[in-house]
Amino acid sequence: MTFIPNWEEFEKSAEMLYLRDPLNTRYSIKYSHSKGVFLVKITDNKKCLQYKTEVQQDVRKIDMFISNLIRHMASNDN
Amino acid sequence: MVLLGNDEFLMELSKLFQKARSSGSVTMTMKRYDGRTKPEPRDGTPVVKNPEFKCLVRAQSRSKKISTVIEQRDVEKFTTAYSNLLKTSVNGLKRLKKPKKKAMAAQ
Repeated sequence: MTFIPNWEEFEKSAEMLYLRDPLNTRYSIKYSHSKGVFLVKITDNKKCLQYKTEVQQDVRKIDMFISNLIRHMASNDN
Repeated sequence: MVLLGNDEFLMELSKLFQKARSSGSVTMTMKRYDGRTKPEPRDGTPVVKNPEFKCLVRAQSRSKKISTVIEQRDVEKFTTAYSNLLKTSVNGLKRLKKPKKKAMAAQ
């Protein structure tokens, strides 16, 4: 359950993790409005990476990353 | 776990966000799905012969759970709608103010 403090590092590691095993990797997002926390987690059942933020500016970056992942998952690329 | 169509899922998801505004959280999970409906056979033959990959999306808040499957042809439509929903719902976080250079110089 490692927390990565830097978004760029998290994004790179998450992409590598997903591409190694696309069928068994899943990605989770949790938003708590009352606590003002946005949490992102990616795991392939062997390794897990997390990123936590309380900053509005990060939402756009996370959003782009999610869209890219959805696009890749629903396509036949490897 | 309720399996819905893409548009219904987005509508229910926006309701989940509204309900969770005062307390609680909304969790969304995404995973690649190859369309399998049967368990893996013992003789080692692949479960799906020509896998057409889709994306399985699940969401939950308190005890309400919903899910949907995104096909390849619906990806763009879903991602734009989903992006908009996140941008409008995830708006209670702190906004950092960058100190402007002029203000810094004046001080």
